[in-house]
Amino acid sequence: MGFDLNFGWSGSIACVQLGATKSEGGTRRISYRIGGEKTLPFLEKIQGSSSPLITLEICDNPQYWSPIVTNYCGDMVHNSGEWAHAAETVYGADMVRLYLTSTRKRDFSDIASVGTTIETVLSGTGLPLIIEGSNEPKIDSEVFLKCGEAGQGERMLLGTAEAGRYRSIAAAAMAYDHSVIAQSPIDVNLAKQLNILLKEIGVSRDHIIIDPYTGSLGYGFEYSYSAMERIRFSALKGDADLAMPIICSAIDSLTVKEVRESEPAILDDIAVQWEFTTGLAAAIAGAEIICVRHPRTIPLLRKAFGSLTPGKIAGGEG
Amino acid sequence: MTDVELALKKGKDSLKSAMATIQGTFSYEDTAYHLPISYALTGIAVHDRTASLDVFSRTQDNSLVASEIILAKKTAQDGKKVLPYTGFIADTVIRKLGYSLVDGSILGLALIVGTPQSDGTAAAICRELQEKYMLTFLAGPVVPSLSSAGVKLGLDYRLIPLGSDALHGVHFVDIIARVAMMFGGVTPGDMHRLLTYAAERAKAIVIALPGLSEEEIALVDGMRVLGFPILTLGEYSGGAWITATPEDIVRTGMELKGIRVTVTAIPIPMGCSPAFEGKSIRKEEMYVEFGGGRSPAFELLRMKNAGEIKDGQVTVIGPEIDSMTEGSANPLAIIIEVAGKTMKKDYEPVLERRIHNFVNYGEGSWHVAQRDLIWVRLSKEAVAKGVKIEHIGKLLASKFRMDFPQLLDAVSVTLITDGEKVLAARKEAERVYEERDARIRGMRDNDVNTYYSCTLCQTFAPNHVCVITPERPALCGAISWLDGKIAYEMSPAGANQPIEKGPVINARNGEFEGVNRFVKKASHGEVDRCSLYSVMEYPMTCCGCFECIALMLPEVNGIMIVNREFKGLTPSGMSFSTLAGTIGGGAQTPGFAGISKGYILSDRFLQGDGGIGRLVWMPAQLKEELKPRLVKILADRNMPDLFDKIADETSAATIEDLMVYLNTVQHPALKMKPLV
Repeated sequence: MGFDLNFGWSGSIACVQLGATKSEGGTRRISYRIGGEKTLPFLEKIQGSSSPLITLEICDNPQYWSPIVTNYCGDMVHNSGEWAHAAETVYGADMVRLYLTSTRKRDFSDIASVGTTIETVLSGTGLPLIIEGSNEPKIDSEVFLKCGEAGQGERMLLGTAEAGRYRSIAAAAMAYDHSVIAQSPIDVNLAKQLNILLKEIGVSRDHIIIDPYTGSLGYGFEYSYSAMERIRFSALKGDADLAMPIICSAIDSLTVKEVRESEPAILDDIAVQWEFTTGLAAAIAGAEIICVRHPRTIPLLRKAFGSLTPGKIAGGEG
Repeated sequence: MTDVELALKKGKDSLKSAMATIQGTFSYEDTAYHLPISYALTGIAVHDRTASLDVFSRTQDNSLVASEIILAKKTAQDGKKVLPYTGFIADTVIRKLGYSLVDGSILGLALIVGTPQSDGTAAAICRELQEKYMLTFLAGPVVPSLSSAGVKLGLDYRLIPLGSDALHGVHFVDIIARVAMMFGGVTPGDMHRLLTYAAERAKAIVIALPGLSEEEIALVDGMRVLGFPILTLGEYSGGAWITATPEDIVRTGMELKGIRVTVTAIPIPMGCSPAFEGKSIRKEEMYVEFGGGRSPAFELLRMKNAGEIKDGQVTVIGPEIDSMTEGSANPLAIIIEVAGKTMKKDYEPVLERRIHNFVNYGEGSWHVAQRDLIWVRLSKEAVAKGVKIEHIGKLLASKFRMDFPQLLDAVSVTLITDGEKVLAARKEAERVYEERDARIRGMRDNDVNTYYSCTLCQTFAPNHVCVITPERPALCGAISWLDGKIAYEMSPAGANQPIEKGPVINARNGEFEGVNRFVKKASHGEVDRCSLYSVMEYPMTCCGCFECIALMLPEVNGIMIVNREFKGLTPSGMSFSTLAGTIGGGAQTPGFAGISKGYILSDRFLQGDGGIGRLVWMPAQLKEELKPRLVKILADRNMPDLFDKIADETSAATIEDLMVYLNTVQHPALKMKPLV
């Protein structure tokens, strides 16, 4: 096209391993190494460069989930093992992200069930896992200890660390060799600060994934996009504290007004389009992991990424 | 009384001769780290005599290594420890334990060895360790002593009985060695890394009770190399062991290792949150008040040595709330004493300023102004709920500890309500205020090599970088150089970073290589140069928070200032808000600069553009506000008549009026070298 694609960048994004196969000490069918970029996404025609990983988000208590998804998926949402299995075999996701919504019940105390759920999901799918722990600081310590333990050896990705609340996740990641999602509220400096805090506590650079916080399209996504761009530019210019892969999950996509108020007949279509457009934009801004909740969004993203990545259709595996 | 030095020598000798007799093979189950101390130090897996002797000599006859090998051999012979003792602890348990340390649910580790003089002593020490979130390991006769005092033992109680002899204390070290390898990135054999980790990261203390044998003394003393303080109750003399009383042995140990208990709840009968900060307590809602011109009142925060204050202590001298008449004004002195390893005298005024916020956090307490001008009220509602003067002290003591955990180890508060005693104490406070003023007044940009940045506003002004110097506070006026320095020390990864100013590029404009380098990086490559003292060439970027805007007026060859409070049009033809919209957002706009009010009074003000003689206009209200100090400064600089020559909206509302006015008063700017 005649553009000069040499920007004189010196930095590269850290490589993070997600999932571990049998030979790597885990039980996953496949594992991924994401990161390693030296330029912006979809510019380089380098063999082996992977397109973003598409992750299906599921949960262990569907009461806290969008009815659009639970209606579409049906009964399987009551069995997280089955849901995870379908994510791999039916919906074609690259990874599964399990939200432990069961811990959101008031006065939740059945910590042992967290371990059981994770084991069920691990046996339901051979894909690498992302685990989202509790929403309640009081039980963080116990929940993350259990998460770390239950997935020992599996190189899971644990979420979500924030500036005021990262110690338990960091401890679980360090004790059981998992990686950490570090979330900051759409701000490049706060993202960097959190990464430094994690580094100080002992989490190594290749175990951190940045979550810049993703607003949904039309509801703040432009701020997220700008924050992601700035994070990635700083990283490529050589700021090691920002040179980590990015994860995006625009969870508000299914609850925006336009989706909520659409005609029942096209509700799914609108929801999927909203997720798709947000996810595609996030990938273009540089995200390596795109999370969605509606299974129908997955093939759309897959096709779009394929058209942007010559000779490369599937995620980490193809 | 045991002489440590003497015992140490003999103990080392007998460990050495015991090592000579080591035979057979031995190993622990449930670990991937062999004999963890030996493995961490040398990278060698010890299971027999040859490896034992090799490691012992490689570590220069280290008594920790010797004890570890002797105990491993003994364990292999005698079999596993029986309950309640744990003996060697498996890796899986250590992993959980390391988790709790990183996670913060355990603050640190303690080892108690030896024989307590009474069951009560050991029980009291253990209770204090439990209360302070320490995980305590026990070895030797201290275990049965605690059991007979009815103390429950086990992981759930954070009291772990390792074994029946003090020698089992070696497991304390093998646990730390494994934590270092699992969590600290220490590779087996990297002795230097291990020692650094143990000294800097492992929060561990050792309490040595009486009755240790010479070998056991050698073992315990060996732990000093890991940076653990060895504390005793005075039965040991000589050596580097520290003597303390049963009451302060835990506190002393924790302070020596910098282990801090974080305060999470404030024990007072009213809410306490920043949410209440903005409320006011009107006269009719007020139960009592202090100061505000109605009674003498002041506040003072001072630094003390750690030993001089008792953390959390609150003392009220004089009448309590119940003997005060409703609606009355009473005398009050708030005296806060703080101690901390990294605390410095320079921080006193900055911390003292927080009293204002903290008192206002109270649902029923209110505070305005500072120093000896304070005005404090307590509401009827709060007093009805049981709030007393004492609770204000508790609130302050807790909040200071909560908000400055890295800086402060101990905070005590004294509240005086006795009129005469308040007046007496105020004399000392006034002396301190004067001393502080003199110190700040004396600070010049040339006196320091480091300035501080502020990028707090990058959330909305993405490329803005404030450079804060002693003479040029942040453009918002809220952060002085000292504030920046303290903020950095308290939060090293935060928005205030040190800037080495580096070689001078242009002394007059205040341009430095180091500052330029920093600004380029912090502005994400957008801004290459920054002159600290010029509005015209490479001025600092502006976020949007500036107290004032300084801008050039080419028609009159001068510079005007407008402050945020001024609502009218300025001679530039624009209002403050129009100007702010033009220059804000992180841009560098030659001819315009956002500044703080304090900067106007500094010697550096407009230095690059010809000095304060360039100043031709500012709003009357700002002029009035600065008058007392500005008049004095101008007199000192031999420009006694300049103050009256600076126009305001009453003397010159438009640029035409301003030209006429400046000519009439013969303003010096007219004769200066052209601005553009």
